[in-house]
Amino acid sequence: MLLTGHEIIRQMKRGDIAISPYQPSCVNPNSYNYHLGSQLMTFSDPELLPGVEGNLQEIPQEGIELQPGKLYLGHTEEMLGSRRFASSLIGRSTLGRLGLWLQVTADLGHTGTYHRWTLEMKVVQPLRVYAGMPIGQICFWRVRGARNRYVGKYRGDMSVMQSRLL
Amino acid sequence: MILTGPEIARQVSLGRIELSPFEEQNINPNSYNVHLGPTITRYKEKVLDSAYPNPTYEEEIPSEGLLIQPDQLYLGSIAERIGSNHYVPIIKGRSSVARLGLFIVITADLVDQGAFGNWTLQLHAVQPMRIYAGMPIAQITFWCVDGRPMLYSGKYQGSSGPVASKSWQDAFFAEKS
Repeated sequence: MLLTGHEIIRQMKRGDIAISPYQPSCVNPNSYNYHLGSQLMTFSDPELLPGVEGNLQEIPQEGIELQPGKLYLGHTEEMLGSRRFASSLIGRSTLGRLGLWLQVTADLGHTGTYHRWTLEMKVVQPLRVYAGMPIGQICFWRVRGARNRYVGKYRGDMSVMQSRLL
Repeated sequence: MILTGPEIARQVSLGRIELSPFEEQNINPNSYNVHLGPTITRYKEKVLDSAYPNPTYEEEIPSEGLLIQPDQLYLGSIAERIGSNHYVPIIKGRSSVARLGLFIVITADLVDQGAFGNWTLQLHAVQPMRIYAGMPIAQITFWCVDGRPMLYSGKYQGSSGPVASKSWQDAFFAEKS
């Protein structure tokens, strides 16, 4: 079952969902809008290998024009997570309508994570985006069964994190 | 929990899901097949900016279909009018269409509870592909919710045909300009 906006607020007050910073205006009927953090990672190597180091940059005030055919790793401005629910980190249709992907098919957030999430961004046509803009949404799912803790390698990330496949 | 096909039909008959026109043949085991509406909206400019309105134009899909190209975004819509105050719809592709390399949404597959209309599809083809008005293009799943409903009243409510992004109307940009 997917939580409604009112239930997200209620669970946040109980401490079972954490969103920081939190703005009441970002609660949607069934999700919470997250914002684009200020750092962006790009890859200059024509060939991406597991463990490749990217180039980290600050998104300038005038925004940055994303180009088709390139992968950009961004991050959520917010620390987001839940010790009780599973989550889906997805896009907003407002940005989907401009041809921006926020995830590359990996939209499941595990129970027990709390961090700034890395966004896998790509565009169909060149698109200018801005740090701080509302860019995607997170929704929360009730789970069934005993819970194990997420102890994965992206736990506690504070900014963009490249693949740690190796 | 996700509704089964027979449960979707039952909820439609109870008026708790609006789905029109509704035809039995479109019911799947866990979803309902929807069809591509007759109109496509495209952006006039190649370079888009999320802070400003991006001019668009509309075209009707001709009877011989429309060949769509990988380097362009095409906004279509579902032919049906759908919405529910009780369940959350999630738009999924159909594997028959996906096997041709067509994306029908771009990471925004969730439709808010209480959003009604001909929802906009974000069409992106991996290789050039011909699409036709009326073709079964996507499937809609319906999910149970937990908590007091907060119904959608946003900027795309009641849309008829494809609607381009209104990103520039977000308070973040409205306050900037």
